[in-house]
Amino acid sequence: MKKTISRNIAIVSAIFMLTFSVMLITNYFQVSCTNTAHPELIENLKQANEELGNNPQLQEQIRELDLMARRAYFVSLYRLKTGAAILLFMAMVFVVSLRLYFANSKNIPNKEVDPIDDWMIKSKARKWMVLAAGGVVVGGFVFALLSSPYIKSFEEGKETSLEDVLVETIDIEEVVVDKVIIDEIAIDKAPEESPVAVAVEVPKTTHSGFRGNNSLGISAAKNMPTSWNLSTGTNILWKVNIPRKGHNSPVIHGNKLFFSGADDDARELFCYELSSGKELWRTAAKNISGSPSKMPDVIDDTGLAAPTVATNGKQVCAIFSTGDVICADMEGKQLWAKNIGVPDIHYGYASSLLIYNNLLIIQYDTQNKPRVIALDVATGNQRWEKERPEKSPSWSSPILAPVNNKPQLILIGNPGISSYNPDTGAPYWRVACLSGEPAPGAAYVNGIVFGAAEYATMVAINALDGSILWKNSDILPEIASPVACNDFVFIATTYGVVATFEAQTGKLIKTMEFSTEFDSSPIVADGKIYLICTDGKVFIFSAKGDFTLLNSFETGEKTFATPAFTDKKIVVKSEKVIYCVGEKD
Amino acid sequence: MKSHKRVNHNPIARRDFLKSCARALAGGSLLALFGLTIRKTKAKDASCFWQIDPTKCTFCGRCETNCVKLSSAVKSVHAVKVCGYCDLCGGYYRTNAKELNTAAENLLCPTGAIQRKFVEEPFFEYSISEDLCNGCGKCAKGCNAFGNGSLFLQIKQELCKNCNECQISKVCPAHAISRVPVSNVYHLIDTL
Amino acid sequence: MNRFPKPDFESGYVYPQQQFVIPNEVLWSYIDIAVLVFLMGFVTWALIKKQIRWPVVLTSVVSIFYFGFFRNGCVCGIGAVQNVVLTLVSDSYSIPLYLLLLFTLPLVFAIFFGRVFCAGVCPFGALQELVNVKNWKISKSVSTVLGVFPWVYLGFAVLFAVTNSRFIICRFDPFVWIFRFGGELPLILFGVLLLIFSVFTGRPFCRFICPYGAILSLFSKISFRQVKITKKECINCSLCHNACPVDAIYPPYQNKVNEIRSKGVHRILRYVVFMPLMVAAGVTIMYMLSDKISRVNNDVRLYDMAMGNETNHSNVLSLELEAFWGREQTLEELAVRVEEVQKGFRIWSIIIGAFFGLVIALKLIHLSTKRGRKVYDISSAECVGCGRCFSYCPQNQKKIS
Repeated sequence: MKKTISRNIAIVSAIFMLTFSVMLITNYFQVSCTNTAHPELIENLKQANEELGNNPQLQEQIRELDLMARRAYFVSLYRLKTGAAILLFMAMVFVVSLRLYFANSKNIPNKEVDPIDDWMIKSKARKWMVLAAGGVVVGGFVFALLSSPYIKSFEEGKETSLEDVLVETIDIEEVVVDKVIIDEIAIDKAPEESPVAVAVEVPKTTHSGFRGNNSLGISAAKNMPTSWNLSTGTNILWKVNIPRKGHNSPVIHGNKLFFSGADDDARELFCYELSSGKELWRTAAKNISGSPSKMPDVIDDTGLAAPTVATNGKQVCAIFSTGDVICADMEGKQLWAKNIGVPDIHYGYASSLLIYNNLLIIQYDTQNKPRVIALDVATGNQRWEKERPEKSPSWSSPILAPVNNKPQLILIGNPGISSYNPDTGAPYWRVACLSGEPAPGAAYVNGIVFGAAEYATMVAINALDGSILWKNSDILPEIASPVACNDFVFIATTYGVVATFEAQTGKLIKTMEFSTEFDSSPIVADGKIYLICTDGKVFIFSAKGDFTLLNSFETGEKTFATPAFTDKKIVVKSEKVIYCVGEKD
Repeated sequence: MKSHKRVNHNPIARRDFLKSCARALAGGSLLALFGLTIRKTKAKDASCFWQIDPTKCTFCGRCETNCVKLSSAVKSVHAVKVCGYCDLCGGYYRTNAKELNTAAENLLCPTGAIQRKFVEEPFFEYSISEDLCNGCGKCAKGCNAFGNGSLFLQIKQELCKNCNECQISKVCPAHAISRVPVSNVYHLIDTL
Repeated sequence: MNRFPKPDFESGYVYPQQQFVIPNEVLWSYIDIAVLVFLMGFVTWALIKKQIRWPVVLTSVVSIFYFGFFRNGCVCGIGAVQNVVLTLVSDSYSIPLYLLLLFTLPLVFAIFFGRVFCAGVCPFGALQELVNVKNWKISKSVSTVLGVFPWVYLGFAVLFAVTNSRFIICRFDPFVWIFRFGGELPLILFGVLLLIFSVFTGRPFCRFICPYGAILSLFSKISFRQVKITKKECINCSLCHNACPVDAIYPPYQNKVNEIRSKGVHRILRYVVFMPLMVAAGVTIMYMLSDKISRVNNDVRLYDMAMGNETNHSNVLSLELEAFWGREQTLEELAVRVEEVQKGFRIWSIIIGAFFGLVIALKLIHLSTKRGRKVYDISSAECVGCGRCFSYCPQNQKKIS
C-alpha cells in the first residue's frame, strides 16, 4: 500500500518535473535571448526618435514598449527563480518517494556482468587501457603535427618545385646584372650629384599638420622673408598651379611638401619637392570598400578636400569628405586606405588630421555620432574611439597641448571644449560653453587652453582641471583659429578686426581693424605673427610689445589656407596656385 | 637467514612493510605540502572576496550576463560625495536626450533602476534601487564619459556567491576583478 | 575626474547614508571546517566502528543542505586542489587557511580511515548517493579504464591552475548549479545526465570524473583502518558484492592462472621497461600541444586577437582589444608577458605529460599483478563508504537479531 503510494507520487512528480523543466528551459531561452531588459527594437526606436525631432506618437510608443519590456524582463526573471525552486522541491519529492519505494528491496542481480575471474578482467582491462592510451597518443600526435607550424613551413617548402628553383636562379642572375648596372650608373652620376646634394639644404623645421606641429599655430622656423611679390617674382622661389581643388593647407617635412585635392573625378594626396616645386608623387583614394560612389553634397566653402593632411616623417595621411582615409609612406607607396563612414555633415567634412606618436587622430563630429577616432598610423587599425556628446557637427580641428609635458588632446565642438588623453582617449575634462558650428581650433600656452566661436564666447580654461579662467564675448573669430604665445592670445575675425588679449586675465591689449576678411589662421614664427586675408593681402605683426603692424602687402591671389613655415621659407597655398616664398641665392 | 626467509616467503608481511612505507610517504608529503602552503596563508586578512576595481573597469556590460547568478551580483553604486548633482546627468540620460524629463525615450537605464529627485535649483539627487539594477553598467559608462565618475560597478557581497573562480573575472576584458581582503571588500570612490 | 564641482547646497540638504554589507565569511569558514570535521568523524564512527548506514544518509542530507544550499557548494575540497597547487608555485597567490584545511583534512582522514569524505560529507557525493537506487554493474574492465580519467582531469586542472589560467574543475562543475538555482544550460544537462546515471549505477561522477577522489583513493589505499563488511567471518555469500553500487567489493578468487610464473614476471618487467617510453610519449605530445593549450590563458588569447587584428584589421574592435589599448599598454609588453606564460605552459606541459605517461604505466603494472583472495574483500581505494554492504551481509543481520 505504502509502496504503491510512493510509486504513484514518484511517477507524478517525475511527469511534473519533465513538463515543468521543458517550460523552464523555454523561459530560460527567452530570457537569455533577449539577454537584457532592453530589446534591440526599443533601442532602435529611441535612436530614431533622437534623429527625427519631436514626434509625440513615437515617444508614446517607446514609453509603452519600454514599460512592457521591463515588466516582461522582471516577470520572467521571477518565473525562472520560482520555477527553479519548485523544480527543486519536486525533485526532492521524487527522490524521497523513489527511495521509499525501493526501501526494502534488496538488489540482487541475477546475472553477473563479468565472469568471476580476476585475471581475465585484469587482462581485458590491460588490453582496453593499451588501446585507449595508444589511441590518445596517436590522436595527440596527429593533432599536434597538423597544428604545428613546422609542418606548415614544410608543406610550403615542398611546393617550390624544380621550375621555381630554376626561375629563382634566373632571377638572381638578373638582379646581379641590374645591380652591376646600377652600380655603374651610381659611379657615373656620383660626381655630378654630390654638389647638388650639398646645395639642397634640407630644412630641419617641420610643419607637420594644420597650423604647424601639434596644430598650435606656432612655428620654430626662422629667417623667413617679410615681404614678397608674386607679380614681380621678388622672394618667390617657385609658383605652380594646384592640380586639384581643396581648401586644405600645405604641410612640410624635410624637403617634402604635402597637400591634398579632390573633385568629382579623384581624391588625391600630393607630394612636391620643397626646393623646386616639382611634383614627386601623388596617390589617390580609390577602390576603398565602403567609399560612396557618389560624392557627398558639400558647400563650396568646404569642398571635398578641406581637411589638411598630417605627417610624422614616416607616414603621411589624408582624409576626404567621403570619409576615406589614406596613408602613404614618404616615397608615395600607399600603406593603407579605409573608409571610416561617410560623414553626414550638411556642409561637408572639414576637421584636419593630427598625428600624435603613432596615432592618427580624427575629429569626426558627424551629425549622427560625433566621435573622435585614433588609428594606428602604420596599419590603420583602430586604437580607440570615443563618442562625443556634441549637438551639431563642427569645422574645428584637434590640437595637442603639452600640459606639464603630458600631452592633452583638445577638441572643440558644440557645445563642448574637451580634453582627452591622446594615448587612450580617456576624457580629462570638458567645458560646455560654445554654440553654433564652431570652426576655429583651440589654442594653448602655459597651461591655458583657449577656445572661441562666433556668436558664442571666447573662453580661457585651466588645462589642469578644466576650470574657466575668463570669458570674453566682445570680439570673436568665426573661421581663423586663435593663436597663443608667451603671454598673449591673438585672434583674427571675419569682419576684419584683429585683437590681442592677455592670456592670464583676458584683458584686451590691442585691436586693429582692416576692411577685409580673415579665413586663414595666424601663425606665430620668428617673433612675428603672419596673417593672410581672403583677398590675399599679407599682414605681418610684431609678436611682442604693442603688436605693431610691421608690414602689409598685396599678393593678388585669393587665399583661404594657412601657410606652412620652415626655415627661410614659407609655402602659401591660394585658391589656384601654390608658391614658395624665400630669398633667392 | 631467518629474516631473509620471512621477507621472501611471507607476502602479507611484505605487503605490510610496503604499506607502512607508503603511509610514511603519504603522510610526509601531506605534511610537506601543508608546511609549504601554510607559510603563504593568511588567516585574518586573506583575499577571499571578489571585487571590481572601478579605475580599471571599462563598463563593457559583461557583468550583467556572465555572473553565475540569474541576476548579476554586480550592481551599480553611486558615490554621492563625488556626484555633481547635475541636471543633465550622463549616467541618467541618453547622450542625445531631447528633454530632461523622466520619459523613457530619454533615459539610459534599461531597467529604470535609477531614481532622480529634485534637491534645489539646479541640483538633482540620483539613487539606485538595487532590486532593479541588473549590473549592465550603462549608467557608469555615461557618468564616466561625461560626469564625475560617481556611478560605478561593484560586486555586492551579500549577493555574491563567492565562487572559487569568479566567472566574470575570467571574461572581464579589463582584468578589473580580483580577490580582495575583507578589510577592503569594497573599492569605493570617496574623494575626487 | 572632476568635471563638475561639488555642489553648494543652500537648502540644508544632507548626503544620503549608504550601507555596504561587510560579509562575515571568516566566521562561517571556520564553522564550515568544524562541520566538516564533525561530519567526517560521524561517518568514520558509523562506518568503521558501528558498521551502519543511516548516519551516512543523514550526513548526506545535512551536507547537501549545509554545504550545498546554505554555503552554495563553493568553495569545496575538489576545487581547492587548484588553489593549493597555484599557491605552491606562485609567489603572489595565497590561499586562506580554511581553504587549505578544506583540502588537507579529508586527506588526513583518508590516511587514517579511508574515503569518509566521499561517503556523504562531500555534497556532490551526497547528491549521487541519495538518488541512487539501483546498481547496474558496468564491466569491471571498462570501469577500470574509465577510472584513469580523473587522473587526466587532475593533470589538466593542475596545468591550468599553475599557469594561473583557469580553474577548470570549478568551470565545468556539473552539480553546483543545483545549489545556485541556475547556471549554464550545457552544464545543467550534463549534471542531470550524471544524476540520471547515478540512479542506476553508483556515483559516476566520483568514480570517473572527480580528480580529488583520485587523490583520496590513493591515500585511502594505505589507510590504517579500512572499512570492513563485517566483523564476523565472511561466509562468501556474494550478497555484498551485488549490493555495492561502485563495484568496490571483489569476490574471492584463487590464483590459478595457467601461466608460467616467468611469463608474468616478464610482463611486468616489460611494462617497467616501457614506462620511460610512455613518459616520453606523454611529454612529447603535451610539449607539442603546449602552445595550443596555452590559448586557455586570457593573455595568450588577447595577444592572438591583437596580432590577428594587426594583420587583418577590422573597424569593430572586440571589447578585449578596446580595453587593452585603453590600458596604456603596448603590444610589446603583452608579448613579453605572453612569452612568459607560454614558457610556463611548456615547462608544465612536460611535467604533466610525464605524469600522464607514469599514470598509464603504473596502472598497467598494477593490472599485471596477480593476487588471490579467500573472502569477499573491499578495495579501499574504490570504496566510497556508502555503507550499503553492511545490511546485506547475513553475518551482520544475525548480530542485529
